[in-house]
Amino acid sequence: MNLAISGLKYIEEIKNGNYTIEEFVSKTLEQIQKLDGKLHAFLSLNDKAIDQAKKLDKKIQKNEKIGACFGMPISIKDNICVKGTKTTCASKMLEDFVAPYEATVISKLKSEDAIIIGKTNMDEFAMGLTTEFSAFGPSRNPWNHDYVPGGSSGGSAVAVRALECVASLGSDTGGSVRNPASFCSVVGYKPTYGLVSRYGLISYANSIEQIGPLTRTVEDLAFILNIISGIDDKDNTTVDNKNEDYLSEIDAGVEGKKIGIIKEMIGDGADKEVVSATNNALKKFENLGAKCEEISLDMVDYSVAAYYTISATEAGSNLARYDNLRYGFDFPLEGFEFNSYISKARKNFGPEVTRRLIVGGFVPSAGFAGKYFLKALKVKSKLTAEVNEAFKKVDLLLAPTVPIRPFKLGEKIDDPIALFLIDFNTVTANLTGKPAISIPFELSDGLPIGIQLLAKSMHDKALLQAAYALQNTVHLPEIQL
Amino acid sequence: MKCLILKEKIEEVAKLMRIELDDHVVYLDRVQKMIEYFDILDEADVESEKLSVQELPIKNLREDKHIPYEERIIDTLKNYKGNYIRAPKMI
Repeated sequence: MNLAISGLKYIEEIKNGNYTIEEFVSKTLEQIQKLDGKLHAFLSLNDKAIDQAKKLDKKIQKNEKIGACFGMPISIKDNICVKGTKTTCASKMLEDFVAPYEATVISKLKSEDAIIIGKTNMDEFAMGLTTEFSAFGPSRNPWNHDYVPGGSSGGSAVAVRALECVASLGSDTGGSVRNPASFCSVVGYKPTYGLVSRYGLISYANSIEQIGPLTRTVEDLAFILNIISGIDDKDNTTVDNKNEDYLSEIDAGVEGKKIGIIKEMIGDGADKEVVSATNNALKKFENLGAKCEEISLDMVDYSVAAYYTISATEAGSNLARYDNLRYGFDFPLEGFEFNSYISKARKNFGPEVTRRLIVGGFVPSAGFAGKYFLKALKVKSKLTAEVNEAFKKVDLLLAPTVPIRPFKLGEKIDDPIALFLIDFNTVTANLTGKPAISIPFELSDGLPIGIQLLAKSMHDKALLQAAYALQNTVHLPEIQL
Repeated sequence: MKCLILKEKIEEVAKLMRIELDDHVVYLDRVQKMIEYFDILDEADVESEKLSVQELPIKNLREDKHIPYEERIIDTLKNYKGNYIRAPKMI
């Protein structure tokens, strides 16, 4: 049995009876057993996965109706609630929190008979770009274990690349799906803001974050998006996509499409290998019949500062609830002074979360809001206007997903500004609400480089069509696991 | 001088948020670096920019009604009495 198949191929194999769901799920769990001691993609596993697989096999044997996923093993980032399972956000603060309800995306996947194989590692509360800020230890890049896998959805990207699941769900606030997708060489997606319900996603920065899939192919991604997208009365920011089918016509191609390369995203801070890969991607699009031109977005230079100002401010508000009353550790019930009690509770946050909380308290505070927070909102507004203007000239925007190649564990962990700049190419999609995808494109010295495409809001289908066209020009060597 | 004032302000905000800064290098110095980086926003030509407001039509809001939950969520907590959560006694 080959675990390195796409999700759609898996469904075909199960339908054809080439193997059972139980066999595939067992093999997947064996793979996790074999590799996860080194890679640390998972924080917890579903101990009922085999039983669930057996039940689905029985349904197939009895010719009963079965959901579109056919028991596909899918992993979930540990900030998305799966009822009855631990949802820790990779934080000591929520180490023992068992979600009492299901996130909408999980209800939708389960209704299509997906098997949630486990919960994946991440930077604590999704604040980070390397998965090194997990309170339970970092994940490692499956291409080279000395290197970071990206983050914050690092565990999800590692699990998909290392064949520890067929697909995964992550969350993307400033690039947290696309960045690890690029570093691990999988496909990662940030949908149009509102396309996927955030109900059951533990909030970090509500106004810009989205749940997004990570898969091994663009077709799998479209398949998962078909299931998880759409309006949800539990999340009033969701939009009605009229049940759009993202998988149909995925091979429409890019003939006649106009693609803009974002000039600021291949500037001085970008590795020369990354710039070279980006130019190669442009050539491939031109060979496929697209027309490419350079686009300049002035506000991109300020986008990282605006992103961190806005996201920290929202995090400061969202994480205030962890006061040890409703969530947190068990302290004795008697004899605390109020301030020291709350301080003691806050100590359960790791250093990066604590730093961002302080930033989130500082930038909107009296005397500083005009200099930081309000200005960040203005940058967000002007950047959106610039991107909308660009989309009057071109159909898609292109840039490297991350300006640099994966780096070694510990290399940048003490330098907050170096870490900030890794987000340089991804935050634009979040600040403007646009859909964006990272597609595996090249390997340089054995380390992956991903290419990012952005489209107009609610043009997710056209974006996936272009990503599919590019994917079909790419032939990467197989990973040695 | 500017750095000292910024550090003092950061410490003040942290105190208001009830966050103890027991390691100044890990917390104060790095937070200061982050905030100093945000000064780049001063260079952005956005003075004339209007803030965009995210409008949410009232019809998009859920009806304000009690939805019974099939399980007793309170049972998942350790410290409760009847239907009440037992919070720590504060002094």
